Amino acid sequence: MRSELTEISLIDKYLNKQLDEEEKKTFEALLLVDEVLSTNVEAQRKAYRVIRLFARKKERTRLEGIYQRLLREPAFAQHLKTIFS
Amino acid sequence: MIERKIATLEDPLTNLYRSAFPDCAKMIHRMGGTSEQAKDCFHDALLIFLEKQKAGTLRLQSSAKAYVLGTAKICWLRSLDRSTDLPLPEGFEPIEVGEPDQEEKESILLESLQRTGKKCLELLSAFYYENFSLQDIATRFGFNGRRSATVAKFKCLEKVRHNIKTSQVYAQ
Repeated sequence: MRSELTEISLIDKYLNKQLDEEEKKTFEALLLVDEVLSTNVEAQRKAYRVIRLFARKKERTRLEGIYQRLLREPAFAQHLKTIFS
Repeated sequence: MIERKIATLEDPLTNLYRSAFPDCAKMIHRMGGTSEQAKDCFHDALLIFLEKQKAGTLRLQSSAKAYVLGTAKICWLRSLDRSTDLPLPEGFEPIEVGEPDQEEKESILLESLQRTGKKCLELLSAFYYENFSLQDIATRFGFNGRRSATVAKFKCLEKVRHNIKTSQVYAQ
């Protein structure tokens, strides 16, 4: 892997808590002095949040689809109607 | 008979939905909520349930239905009072954490990423959210084995990260 990908992989392990104690200490010491690395860590942290947001939106769309499908089942729709009427 | 056959062929999530949502609706209705609010709470609860299931951290004390109903109730109470200390099951963090400002930034960013790198987002969420193995990802996305899938995963992560670093949204 090229060096940028090695760095991404290392940050990946750090943020997902896959480094052992020793590696973590070394990494955090590096973070203090390496501004580029620390910027990359923050950007990568945000990347995971955006990935999660994307995945959750997809899941919500799937759930909405199930709801719409179930509403077409007369028994289900009728049951809901009696609850809120 | 045919209906029963269809029901067993259906995915477990639809079955769970069909069996749990009416009870959730009744519960939220009793507490003064609308049907739309009942659905919102129910979806939050299902999302939590699904995420824990995918992460392999779901510990059911009774049934999936009871878990989802209990979680939906907590989501409803939390929505009434943002300051409540009521913890979600097993300390699960709220669905949308963080500052509203931050969430907005993430949404804007996501929109632009969806236009330029949908496939990367699909791949990354398969790995980080769905917890698929690299072998599964290789098969699903047509890579030549785990190694290629690993490289593709990190290249995608690099792309998303680069977008974040150069995005106006995060400019100081």
